[in-house]
Amino acid sequence: MPEGGATAASKVAVDIGGTFTDIALATADGRIHQSKISSTPDDPSRAVIEGVAQLLAELGLDPAGVSEVMHGTTVGSNTILQRAGARTGLITTKGFRDVLEIGRIRMPDMFDLTWEKPKPLVPRRHRLEVAERIAADGSIVTPLDEAAVVAAGRALVAEGIEAIAIAFLNSYRNPVHEQRAEALLREAIPGLLVTSSCAVLPEIKEYERTSTTVVNAYLLAAMQRYLQRLETGLRGIGIAAPILVMTSNGGMLAAKAICEKPVLAVASGPAGGVIGAARLGEARGDRDVIVFDMGGTTAKAVIVEDGRPTMTSEYEFRDGISTSSRFVKAGGYMLKVPAIDIAEVGAGGGSIAGIDKGGLLVVGPQSAGAVPGPACYGLGNDRPTVTDANVVLGFINPSSLAGGRLGIDKALSEKAIAQHLAHPLGLDVADAAHGIRAVANANMARAVRAVTVERGRDPRDLTLMAFGGNGGVHAFDLARQLGIPTVVVPPLSGVFCSVGMLASDVEHIAMATVVRRLDRMEAAELAALQKGVAGEVDARLAADGYRPDRRAIVFEAELRHEGQASELTVPLDGDDLERLHERFAAEYFKTYGYHDTTPVELMKLRAIGRGLRDNRLDFADMKVAPRAGSSGGASRAVSFARGEPAVTVPIVGRDALGSVPRPGPLIVEEFDATVVVPPDATVHCDAIGCIVVEIAA
Amino acid sequence: MKIDPITFAVVKNGLDSIADEMAYTVVRTARSEIVKDVMDFSAALCAADGQMVAQAKTIAQHLGAIPEAMESVLTAFADDLHDGDVVIMNDPYHGGMHLPDIFMFMPIFHDGVRRAFAVVICHHTDVGGRVPGSNASDSTEIYQEGLRMPPLKLYEQGRINRTLEKMIRINVRVPDRVLGDLAAQYAAAQVGRRGLEKLMQRYGADELEAYMQELLDYAERLTRQEILTWPRGTWRFTDHIDSDGFSDTPIPISVAITVRDDGTLAVDYAGSSPQVRGALNSTLSFTRSLTYLSVRCVLAKDIPNNVGLFRCVDVTAPEASILNPAMPGACAARALTGYRVFDAMLGALAQIVPDKVPAAGEGGNSVICISGLRPNREPFIIVDMICGAWGGRPDKDGLEAVTNASQNLSNMPVEVMEAEHPVRIEEYAFVTDSCGAGLYRGGVGIRRTYRILAPEALLQMRTDRVRFAPYGLAGGSPGGTSNNYMEVAGERRPLPGKITTSIRQDTVIVHEQAGAGGFGDPLERPPEAVLEDHLEGKISRDYAERFHAVVLTAAGALDRDATAALRAARGRARPVATAA
Repeated sequence: MPEGGATAASKVAVDIGGTFTDIALATADGRIHQSKISSTPDDPSRAVIEGVAQLLAELGLDPAGVSEVMHGTTVGSNTILQRAGARTGLITTKGFRDVLEIGRIRMPDMFDLTWEKPKPLVPRRHRLEVAERIAADGSIVTPLDEAAVVAAGRALVAEGIEAIAIAFLNSYRNPVHEQRAEALLREAIPGLLVTSSCAVLPEIKEYERTSTTVVNAYLLAAMQRYLQRLETGLRGIGIAAPILVMTSNGGMLAAKAICEKPVLAVASGPAGGVIGAARLGEARGDRDVIVFDMGGTTAKAVIVEDGRPTMTSEYEFRDGISTSSRFVKAGGYMLKVPAIDIAEVGAGGGSIAGIDKGGLLVVGPQSAGAVPGPACYGLGNDRPTVTDANVVLGFINPSSLAGGRLGIDKALSEKAIAQHLAHPLGLDVADAAHGIRAVANANMARAVRAVTVERGRDPRDLTLMAFGGNGGVHAFDLARQLGIPTVVVPPLSGVFCSVGMLASDVEHIAMATVVRRLDRMEAAELAALQKGVAGEVDARLAADGYRPDRRAIVFEAELRHEGQASELTVPLDGDDLERLHERFAAEYFKTYGYHDTTPVELMKLRAIGRGLRDNRLDFADMKVAPRAGSSGGASRAVSFARGEPAVTVPIVGRDALGSVPRPGPLIVEEFDATVVVPPDATVHCDAIGCIVVEIAA
Repeated sequence: MKIDPITFAVVKNGLDSIADEMAYTVVRTARSEIVKDVMDFSAALCAADGQMVAQAKTIAQHLGAIPEAMESVLTAFADDLHDGDVVIMNDPYHGGMHLPDIFMFMPIFHDGVRRAFAVVICHHTDVGGRVPGSNASDSTEIYQEGLRMPPLKLYEQGRINRTLEKMIRINVRVPDRVLGDLAAQYAAAQVGRRGLEKLMQRYGADELEAYMQELLDYAERLTRQEILTWPRGTWRFTDHIDSDGFSDTPIPISVAITVRDDGTLAVDYAGSSPQVRGALNSTLSFTRSLTYLSVRCVLAKDIPNNVGLFRCVDVTAPEASILNPAMPGACAARALTGYRVFDAMLGALAQIVPDKVPAAGEGGNSVICISGLRPNREPFIIVDMICGAWGGRPDKDGLEAVTNASQNLSNMPVEVMEAEHPVRIEEYAFVTDSCGAGLYRGGVGIRRTYRILAPEALLQMRTDRVRFAPYGLAGGSPGGTSNNYMEVAGERRPLPGKITTSIRQDTVIVHEQAGAGGFGDPLERPPEAVLEDHLEGKISRDYAERFHAVVLTAAGALDRDATAALRAARGRARPVATAA
C-alpha cells in the first residue's frame, strides 16, 4: 500500500541537535516515519529544509499536505552559550542601572572564596538611566523624561547597540512609562529591537524582571532571523503549514509568539524528548523515570515523577553542568520562565578525547559536531571521539551509520585513537578506547546524579529511559554504575526528541494578578476573572486555527496566606470560593504539615488553554514505519571489558525480539540507533515496542 | 555494619537536600522580608546525640553555633523529649546568638526511639525590648534587648503551648509576623522530619544513624589530612571594629592560630577587646561558629561542613571579653563582631595558605532599621541588610554586589520593600572609586538611598568600616571607607556609623558601604584592565592615575606614553602592553 496520500494531512517534527537534525513524520494513517541528517551549524534551518524535503520525496508525499511543523531549537541556548546575542542595551529608572549587575547577592555555594560571579549580558556602560518614577501603588511620582528616553536610545545605537531592554521600577503595577518609552524608541529609531519588562514578565521583583527582559532582548535578533529563514525555506519547498516551536516547559507555541518572546524557548531543544518520555512512561505504566538523552554533543538527564517532568518556575542559564536549583541562585543568568528541570553535561558521541596537561585522559566538552564529525567519518577531524571508541570496540556498526546513509571507516577511528591516546599513554588501542568510554560514562553519570542522588532520590528506584543516537550504546554502563536495574529504549529512539513533539500540545497561558483576600471576594468576581483569562487564551487558540471543540481550557489558582512570599497552586473549577479555600488548606497541610488560620489571598489566576491537535501521537497505539538499515543475522566481535577477550555478539533488528526475555550479549541495530545488551543482562520487547534491558544486580 | 559507597553518597546528598528543602519551606511560608527575601535563617539536621550532620545552603554564621545550642537543649530536657515536642530558644547565654535569632528544634523519632533533630533558625523582625527590631547596637544589658527564652517547649507532644505563645505575642511589636515566622520554622521542621522518615524507611534507622556518624568521621579525616599539609607554627592578626557607638575607642579583634602536629588547629583570641558597653558582644558559641567557618573557607570544597570538621578546631577566648562576654552583656549587634572575627581569621590564614585568601571584604552587611507607625497607627519595621564586596584574590579580582562569604544573605527587592512599607528607595547603585586598588582589585561598595514616607520614624544604623577600612594584601590598597548621610530639605550632613535617631517625613538617608581591599601591587595591574574599570564607571580617571599610574584621556582612551612615563616616574617602570 502506498504511504499516505497526496491529500492526507501529515505532521512533521524536527529537532536540531549539535550533530544531527532529527525528523519524525506522522502520516494520516498513524504511521511514524523518521529521518536523520547532519546538522548545518552555520545555518541550522538548511538541514531542516533539506531533510524534510528529502523525506517527503522518499515517501511520495505532497508538501502541501503537511498540516503542522513542530520544532525544537537550540538557537536560544547556543546564542547565550556562545555569547553571540545582539549587542544589548538597557534603559532603567534613574538610580537603578545596577539592578541587573547587583542581582540577588547570594552565592551558589557556601564557603567558596574562589567563586566567579557571571558577567552581566549588558555591561554597565550600556545601561542608561532616565528620569521617571512610578510608586508602589502605581501612581506617578516623576513623569517620564521622554527626551531622555530618545537620547538614551540614540546614544546606545551610536555605540553599536542592536537591541534595547526597558525595565522601570514598579512597572508591574503600572506599565504606562515602559509602554511610552517603547513607543518612543520604535518611532525614533525604526528597525531597533525593543522589549519592555511589562510585556515579558509583569511581576514584582525588579531583578528577576530585568534579567528575564534582558535575556529576551539579547535573543530577539538571532531567534527572529532564524525562524524567518526557516519559514521562507519551508515555504520554498511548498510547505504552507504553521510552524510551532517547543517551549522550555514542554508546550508548543506559534513561531510568531516565539519571535516576540524567545526567552520562552531557551531550553526548547531537549523538551520534546522529555515530554515524549513522560507520555511513553505513562503508556507503559511506568510513571517514575530517569530520562537520559545522549546525542552527539551533550547528554541530558531529567526526572519524571508520577508522570510529570520536574519543572522549575525560574532557572539560571549557565555554562558547564546546568542544573536549576529551586533554592540556590546566582550561578548564571536568571530567567523567570517555566522550564523543565534539566541537567546537562558535555559528553556525546562527538565529544573529543585528549590528554590534559597533567597527563589525564579527558573527554569533551569540545565536540567534533556534525562537521567534521568523528574521525571515522573521514571528513577532516583526526582526533578521536566517543563514537570512534565505540566503533573500535564493536559497539556500533564499523561500516555505516544512519541506515547506511553515512559511510564510516573503522581504520580511521583506530588511527586517531592510536596516535592521540594509545601511543602517548603507552596503551594498546582497545584499552585506550575503553578509557574513553569510562571517562564519558563517568561524565554522564554526573548528570544523572545531579537530578537523583544530589536531590536525595535513589536512582535504583527508577527506570532509565534512554534515547538519542547514543543513548542505547551507553545506557547499560550507566545503569550498572548507578545500580539501576532496568533500561528502556523507546522505538525511534534515535529521533525521539522529534517523536516526543508529535505527542505534545499547543499551550497558551494567560494570567491575571489578583492579590485579594478570599474572604472579601464574591463568587461573581471570581467568575469574571476566569472569563477574562479564558477569553485571552481562547482568542490565541482561535488565532492558531483551533476550532472551539478543539480547545481545552483549565484554570489554576495561586494562593497563599497573607504576608507570605510564595504561593501554592491548586486547580480551580467553577466559582465556589469556599471550595477553593478548602482545596488550598488541604494542599497547604499536605505540603507544610500544619494548619494555618490566617487569611488566605488569591494572588494569581491562570488559564491554560490547550489546542487539541488532531491525531496527537498516542504511544499506546503507535505504528512505526519499517525503515531500511535494520540489520539482522550478522554478528561481530565486541570488547565489553578492558583486558577481557572480545566476544562474538549476534546483531539483530528490533523485530527479532519478543516478549520473552533473551539473554545477552546482543546488539540491536536499527536505522536510528543501536542498543547494546551486555552478557549478564536480558532483553525483551514490550507491547509498545520498547526494548527493555534488565541488568543483573 | 559495612559502609556501601553508593548508599553513603545517597545518604550524604539526601541529608543535604532535605536540609535545602527545609530552607526552601521557610522561604515559602515565612511572613517577614528579613526571612523570605533577605534569607536570614538557617536549617540543619542533627544526629540523635545532637551532632550536626547536614545543613542547608543558608547562613554560614549560624551553623557553628548549633552544637552549643543543641547541648543546652539536651541539658534542659535530658530524657524529657517526646515525639511531637518542639523546643525553641533564643538566649545567647544558652547557646544562642542574639535574641532575634530564635532556634527551633524538633526531635525525630522512629519506632519510639529518638534518631535525629531538625533545626531551624530564623532572624525575627522583632522580639521586644527597648527599640523596634530588637537589634540596637546601643543597648547595654541583655535585659534591654527583648524577650529572653531559655530552651522551652513550644509544642508538647503535638499540642502547642498556649502560655508560651501568649507570652511571645504580648512581648513583641509585630506578633503576627513573629508567630507567622515561627509557623514557617515549624513547617520546615516537619519537612525535615518527613524527609528523614523516608530515608529511615528506605535504609533502616540504625543504618541511617551509622551513616550519619560516618559522615562526621569522614569530614574529620579529610580536614585533618588537609591541615597536615600546612606549615606548623603560630600566626597572628589583628583587625578592628570602629567603636561600639558609646565611645570612640577602637575595638581590637586579635587572633593567634596554631597549626598542630596532629592536623588540628588551636585558635586563641587573647588580646581582643574586653567586653564592651554596647551590644557588640559575641558569646562564645557565636565566636566558635565564625572560627569554624573561616577555616572551612580555606579547605577543599568537598569536605562536608559538620561537627567532624569542628572537632579539628579548638577555640579559646578570654572570659569577659567581647568574644566571650559575661552576663548581662548586650549581644544584639554581635553579627558585626562576627564579621571582624572572620576578617581577623582570614588575615592570619593568609599567612598560612597565602594562595587561598582574598583581601578583606566590605566588613559585613550593614543593618539599616527604619520603624514607626503608618498613618493608620499600624506599626512597621524595616530591617534592611546591605551587602557586599569581596577583596582582590591571589589570582583574580574580587567581586562586587555579593554576600559576605561568612553569610549567604540576599537583598530585599526595592519593589517588595516599597509595596510593604512607607519608604521609597531613590538609588541602589555601585559607589565609584570605593574599591581597594591592586594587581587584582577589590569590589566596589554599594549605595542605597531611602526616602521616608511615614509621618515620622526611628532610624537605627549599624554600619562599620567608617574608620578602619578593609585591609589589602600583598601590597594591595585598602578599600574605601563606609559613609552615611542624612538629607533634610535638600541639605546634606554626614551621619556616624552607629546611630539611633528620630527622623521626619521626606528625610533622605544615604548609606554607602565600604569597598573591598586590593590584592597585589596596583602598579602591576595591566593598563587595559584599569581602562576597562573606568569605562564601566567603577573608577574615575583620577583614581586610575593616583593608584595605578595609568593616564586616561578625557574621551576615555588609554594614553600609553603618559602611562609609561608616570609608571617610570613612580620608580617602577613596567612595559606597557602594546596590543589594544
